[in-house]
Amino acid sequence: MLRGDSGEAKQLAMEIVSKVGEAVGADQLVPIKSAHVLAHYSSLHDAGVEVLERFADAGGRFAVPTSVDPASIDLQNWRNFGIPEEYARKQFRLCDAYGKLGGMRCWSCVQYQVCNFPKRGEIVAWAESSAVVFANSVLGCRSNKITAGMDIACAILGMTPRFGMLLDENRKAEVSFRLSISKLSDLDYRSIGFFIGRNAGARVPVLVGLPGTVTSDQIKHLGAGAAAAGPVTMIHFPGITPGSSTVAESAGGNMLEELEVTRSALDDTEEDLNQTSEPPDLVAFGVPHLSVNELGELARLLEGRKLKNGVKMYAYTSSQAYDMAERTGISTSIESSGARITQSTDAEISPLKALGFNTVLTNSAKLAEIASSEGEIKMEYAPQKEIIERVTK
Amino acid sequence: MKPLLLKGRSLVKGNGRGGAVISQKAFTFAHGVDPETGIVTDVRSDVRGMNVKGKVLFYPFGKGSTTASAWFLETVRLGNSPAAIVTEGVDLSAVIGSVMARLIYSKEIPVVSGIPRSQYGSLGQGTEVYLDGGKGEVMCVV
Repeated sequence: MLRGDSGEAKQLAMEIVSKVGEAVGADQLVPIKSAHVLAHYSSLHDAGVEVLERFADAGGRFAVPTSVDPASIDLQNWRNFGIPEEYARKQFRLCDAYGKLGGMRCWSCVQYQVCNFPKRGEIVAWAESSAVVFANSVLGCRSNKITAGMDIACAILGMTPRFGMLLDENRKAEVSFRLSISKLSDLDYRSIGFFIGRNAGARVPVLVGLPGTVTSDQIKHLGAGAAAAGPVTMIHFPGITPGSSTVAESAGGNMLEELEVTRSALDDTEEDLNQTSEPPDLVAFGVPHLSVNELGELARLLEGRKLKNGVKMYAYTSSQAYDMAERTGISTSIESSGARITQSTDAEISPLKALGFNTVLTNSAKLAEIASSEGEIKMEYAPQKEIIERVTK
Repeated sequence: MKPLLLKGRSLVKGNGRGGAVISQKAFTFAHGVDPETGIVTDVRSDVRGMNVKGKVLFYPFGKGSTTASAWFLETVRLGNSPAAIVTEGVDLSAVIGSVMARLIYSKEIPVVSGIPRSQYGSLGQGTEVYLDGGKGEVMCVV
């Protein structure tokens, strides 16, 4: 393949994948069942557009079902969200290239809730760190956290190097986090994840003590917080993670260091993510994308309320959940408060600063971490209910 | 002046030279380096404010977003990339960014790993560095 027998696109892809395989000491390439690729112009830049166009012009086609991550703009209603024409044009160049390559253009970071449904044991090559945690920890499939450029290459080849989380020996828990709090708010799940991400280092964690009522959405946000704070790609949840019905099974014979997740640890995490109490330019819900259930919950919380003057509130979701919310009346309930639902994009990958959002209030640990990393946007991190009580009347 | 020769592992071959930018902390190009200038913007970086353009960039590990390879490649497209990268652990973003730089922009940015902080940490910022990516050799003029 390196000699170009299978077309130029495959040759380019093989150069990337084989170099990575060499760097990590992989013994072989193995077939994947699906891929998930990054698509936001804000991080891929013009260079990323040129890479995609190069693959597309060279006749590249994805060899396996390949879902596509969110864009930097609402692809349906970008004009109404104040996106400059020139910026939108660049994002659309990227989108067009994915059309040519044959991507499933779901524009979502929760592809496992909308269009990419692997089964237990499958090997996949997913970018998007929060989705990788969900894949390994809840779905029981095997994925490394695939880097931009490598994602397209794996999708075109339908193969990935065998290393890291594809190997049994790297999936055993090495550190245990014991939850000693019974009543958890929506924010707590995200803070727990963030605390794990900060403290697990490169070790695979197991989390003990989650209530039986935990929802898949809460696990989604927990995993996203962990992946935003550190290199975590899998968390064992005994009783939930396939193959890990007990802590002992998660550990597979490893001795576990034990860390406690206390109320004061979560308070410290919150404080760390909380950088301002200035009035927010934007209230943002949904990093990662809200499910239709979460949109329904938001509608209930907003019932009978109106946003105070000057407050902007956006709920970020997939196009699929957006459509469902429209058909079931959830959208009308949310929008009658003055809040808006935006699809196919997400806050941390949208041009927040260019849109004039310098202070952002959210319940997403991932957003709070990423948006503040350049020091220009100030984040406030609080529970959803508290946020709504503050910014509505 | 005498040369200090550090031996690491070749990840991407090629020759590179430049003044050293030395970070002792995990590093990312994603929201961490401004592609338009090459200046480090990450508030958690110990080399914030320094420019990596044309430099030999040392850091122990990569961190953060998997988009770092694309941010790195954008510095290449705009002519603001480092001349070479030296790390302790394998940073896949550096490897992938460098491979794409060669494939898409015909630009050679060698990457060497396996050189721990204990070996490069005492070098001064701006130390002249010559690097043979193929051999994994990093020669520092101290």
